[in-house]
Amino acid sequence: MKPIHSIITTTLSEIKWSLEISDLLLQKQLALKSILENHFQKNILEIGVGFKTLGISWKSKFPFKEVQALIDQFEEMEEYAPLSNKVWQIPACYDLELGRDLENLASAKGLEVKALIDLHSKNNYRLHFYGFLPGFMYLQGLPEVLFTPRKSLPDASVPAGSIAIGGNQTGIYPSVSPGGWHLIGQTPIILFDPSNTPPVWASPGDLIKFNPISIEEFKSIQQNPQQPVWEK
Amino acid sequence: MKENPYMTILRTGPGTSIQDLGREGLGQYGIPVSGVMDSISMRWVNHILQNPEKEAVLEISLPGLKVHFGSPTIICIAGAKANITLNDSPIKSEGLFLINEGDVLSFGSFIMGSRLYLGVKKGFKVPIVLNSKSSYQGITESGMLKKGDQLEYSSIHEHQNPTWSTVKFDRSWMDSNTIEAFHGPEWGELADKNKDKIQNGVFTISKLQNRMAIQLEELIPNLLIEMSTAAVYPGTVQLTSGGKLIILMKDAQVTGGYPRILHLPEKSIAQLSQKSPNQQFIFKIINFE
Repeated sequence: MKPIHSIITTTLSEIKWSLEISDLLLQKQLALKSILENHFQKNILEIGVGFKTLGISWKSKFPFKEVQALIDQFEEMEEYAPLSNKVWQIPACYDLELGRDLENLASAKGLEVKALIDLHSKNNYRLHFYGFLPGFMYLQGLPEVLFTPRKSLPDASVPAGSIAIGGNQTGIYPSVSPGGWHLIGQTPIILFDPSNTPPVWASPGDLIKFNPISIEEFKSIQQNPQQPVWEK
Repeated sequence: MKENPYMTILRTGPGTSIQDLGREGLGQYGIPVSGVMDSISMRWVNHILQNPEKEAVLEISLPGLKVHFGSPTIICIAGAKANITLNDSPIKSEGLFLINEGDVLSFGSFIMGSRLYLGVKKGFKVPIVLNSKSSYQGITESGMLKKGDQLEYSSIHEHQNPTWSTVKFDRSWMDSNTIEAFHGPEWGELADKNKDKIQNGVFTISKLQNRMAIQLEELIPNLLIEMSTAAVYPGTVQLTSGGKLIILMKDAQVTGGYPRILHLPEKSIAQLSQKSPNQQFIFKIINFE
């Protein structure tokens, strides 16, 4: 179905699809984003990806008809640029001390802790966009059995690097923050570094894979934190 | 003589920070825009000081700030009207002031408005992180300023400008209780009676207000509009599942999952940031031209 482009203000507009969240939709979103960015290089400040939207911030009043024409043209395309095949390897320590909700969550699911870890670490997760906190990745791909409603009373302080589950998503807290998700582990890597340009390492469309590590490995990487590596 | 061009914070309430016009175009990394809540007052300060329009200023949102200047400069104040003293003598809360080495500036109770802006000639020399001097915990070294912090500036020794006494800061826009708003992306999904409530109702600023958001007292019955997480901006008005209206301000996160029923332009954001809890206003819907 054709996406709808609507005007919010003279310098803000949004393109919205009535489709389910999927790799295919993300592929369309990123392809159209790149077409718009190329075509309106001088006029677009930024395009913010959402699960079903592209939010466009314009530097000045924008040519609505020209945007619409590009969208119409885009809809006739049969092939889009493929999604990235980068898989970022994230060391993840599922120690019970670091994942303070791991035992409770496993027992609520009727799973052994190890089975929960296996379920969480076997999938690749797709990065759709950043939001919530600087460097927080919105990931899709959590196995349905791990879907868990958020805590009714959020934790006042969640450590940076915490790996967590909330609703139908998993994520990593890039910095210390209050948080309502269930903590199942922690990564020693740096997720957001404001002294880098860009301050994050993964791009929308990339994949994220959690690789279980021991508490000793966690401490050793923490001594000398690095950016993760990616494989294809 | 050795120059000591630092402004030292002798005392401060919470809510004093360095802000410029913020970080544009970095929402894609989850980075809030930040920047001054009231850009009208901030721009006036920089204009009067003949600073670049984006130069960082001090944003003061509660009484209690007391600062010491280590070297001469020229400052400009605007925004809220407050009881301000320079070396214990009352001064106006707007306009240019000469500062001598050792001067102490104190900000007492606010008489009108909620945010004061203090600029120095040539600006504060604080690090630029991701294109901006605006404080944001996790991006800049520190978030809010605290006692003992020192901000560097340029010493200014030339002290004559005959036009000073004539500068006037107009606060009439601050007083207005009409807040202009565009329809937000999910406006069309509201039931007619709720559209009516928003267009014709009176709204009250609640105590839950800070640099991230202002929550309103009135509830709009929840309509169960569901949406997927999408981009939000300073000025986005969200309707939560509990029926609360939340107006996102400058430090707001860049994505949200609540329906976005209105969008406020920059002037409305500035007006609301000068209002205090219990103050009331109405929304006036405007259209893009």
